Amino acid sequence: MIWEVFRQEQAGEYHTHCGNVHAPDREMALLFAQIQHARRKPTNSLWVVPQSEVSAVDADTDGVEFGGTTDKSYRWVSAYNVDVEFAEEIETSDREQRKAEGER
Amino acid sequence: MATNQQSDPDELTDRQQAAVETLLFSLADDEFVLAERYTEWQVRAPTLESDLALSNIAQDELGHARLWYDLLTEFDYTESELLFERDPADFTHAALVELPFADGDWADAIVRSYLYDTAEQLRLAALEDAAYTPIADRIGKIRSEEAYHREHAENWLERLCADPDGRANVQAATDRLFPHALALFEPVDAEHEATIREFGLRSESLADLRERWLSITVPLLDSLGVRPPVSADGSPPELPVAYGRGGEHTEQWPVLHAELTRTYRELDRTNTRTITNDPDHAR
Amino acid sequence: MVVHRKHPIVMNVEEVTERAEPRAFSPHDDMPEEYRKAATRMIQFHANSEIMGAYLERPFIRQAPSLDRKLAFSAKVQDEIGHGQLLYRAAESLGIKTRAEMLDELAAGEGKFLNCFHYPMTEWWETPMIAFFVDGAAMRRQATIKRTSWEPYAHAMDKICFEEGFHIKHGEDIMRELAMGSRREQQLLQEAFEEWWPRILQFFGPTDDRSTHHDFSARVGLKTMSNDELRQAFLNAYLPKAEKYGLEIPDEPRIRKEDGRYIVAEDDLDWEEFWEVASNEYDGSHEQIGSRAATQEAVAWVRNAIDRSEQSQP
Repeated sequence: MIWEVFRQEQAGEYHTHCGNVHAPDREMALLFAQIQHARRKPTNSLWVVPQSEVSAVDADTDGVEFGGTTDKSYRWVSAYNVDVEFAEEIETSDREQRKAEGER
Repeated sequence: MATNQQSDPDELTDRQQAAVETLLFSLADDEFVLAERYTEWQVRAPTLESDLALSNIAQDELGHARLWYDLLTEFDYTESELLFERDPADFTHAALVELPFADGDWADAIVRSYLYDTAEQLRLAALEDAAYTPIADRIGKIRSEEAYHREHAENWLERLCADPDGRANVQAATDRLFPHALALFEPVDAEHEATIREFGLRSESLADLRERWLSITVPLLDSLGVRPPVSADGSPPELPVAYGRGGEHTEQWPVLHAELTRTYRELDRTNTRTITNDPDHAR
Repeated sequence: MVVHRKHPIVMNVEEVTERAEPRAFSPHDDMPEEYRKAATRMIQFHANSEIMGAYLERPFIRQAPSLDRKLAFSAKVQDEIGHGQLLYRAAESLGIKTRAEMLDELAAGEGKFLNCFHYPMTEWWETPMIAFFVDGAAMRRQATIKRTSWEPYAHAMDKICFEEGFHIKHGEDIMRELAMGSRREQQLLQEAFEEWWPRILQFFGPTDDRSTHHDFSARVGLKTMSNDELRQAFLNAYLPKAEKYGLEIPDEPRIRKEDGRYIVAEDDLDWEEFWEVASNEYDGSHEQIGSRAATQEAVAWVRNAIDRSEQSQP
């Protein structure tokens, strides 16, 4: 049985997928994951999930265009021409959104 | 592929332009009014997740309406004229999309979406090689979003019909909406419809599209234990008296139009604020 | 998410206080009940406010005076529901209440939410009061909650703060359009500002000595800034904005600046009304909660149908 492994590097961060292991059950999956995926990489916590429990939708295989194909610029900061320097948290959001929009 | 392709709005004959406009108005008005009704579910859907999904579908449809209205601006209409200052009697959407939702009637939203989006899929496919190329150019982006809409509606239909109460509500919505959905295959006007076909805007006749729509929707509803209101020989029901398109609208439509133009009128606005990009220059 | 743990860590309030730092605790920690209850109260309030704020704004999807404004309002209301979804999940992860229970409490009038969302908003020119000032105030607070000690709450805040920039800019864009519009539009904007300004000043609640839950929440790291500090930060950024758009700050409540700090004459604010609002007893509260209850009830059949289908799954 295959278990997907999610690693969190430090407390407070996100658990992100880092790989998988073969194991007969949950306990063994945790034991194997610790060695295979956390023996060198800094790790605070690991999750294991049976691979069969993971469902996916995929841009390539399913031909899905996440976020749509028509113009949705109205949902992004870049559509609004007002200054953001007056509040640090708006500036941060503005920067994060421009980055995400640019990478889409 | 049509042989007499045309990409320049100024090169159309008067008759062709009138047909293009008629087609665009019906496409745009359908999407716009459907979305306007969908937004009523925002903050009112059964669960938070279903709220997010239907909101997104509403925005998709508004985006599609915007693409079609934008092509009408090439014939010197402004957004104000197209939406806020147009006489509600001149809108040419099918009345299917203007009907109000009864409180909590999620089955109506799902059945309406299923019937509409199935028709939309067929209609868009038939416009893919439209002789007026700006129409054909916009089909791809729209169809890609419509696939999610159909999957969403069909999945909800299955879930609702798996439950006795749910199926009864789907049946009631089907009885009410099915005759209205047939209006999606009615011409706005016979003369423009003839030009739409001759000029090569739509590759199939409305009657053929309707047959194909019936051959998809009737078996699917049957398979879910819902009886569509067709007679034993498979012939569809009569159109309702007020079915929209070139005919009359229901009395709900002017009420809706008054609500959505309220701010514009109260502030004596003469133009509208644009935020999104010109579709011809969007990425 | 229920994570199967080999060795849950048990903690008492002293240990929590000692270890309290940003994102220190997660469902993996066995938190004392005082912490879980305080965090649930705070996050549930926040989640409820997202939903009730969306209620206030939803009519303007329809009434927006342009197609793009309509799209933007729809996207914004959608985001607020999304924020509610994230926050109820963060609250659920404390193990005190389920989301269904919290939503039922909201519909029953037992759920608390932000003061500003108890007042009716009926006109387009009022929308920047929520979409710029109230959301701006909320954003000031939310940015500090990225450093809360309950990790799922902080994670929700990462996504919410990411999205919120569009909301504030959209709100300011509407305000700018009105401020640069006709004389009448400017007047209507000023009137809306005068009506909403005292409520906006009360957004951060009473001054610290009157706040009931602050001490514990600050001690265990759920909150990182006091109400007064947040209101200062808000006024520093947003009062100049109001002035920039030609809005006249009302004479009352009196606000003076002393050593770079704004001093609000708190006695000029109606705290009796504030507490009536806070306990859901205001007329507007009844209106807003009643409409929420009715719409929740109307779609109960759908939730029941999908619950039954969920139970019949293998």
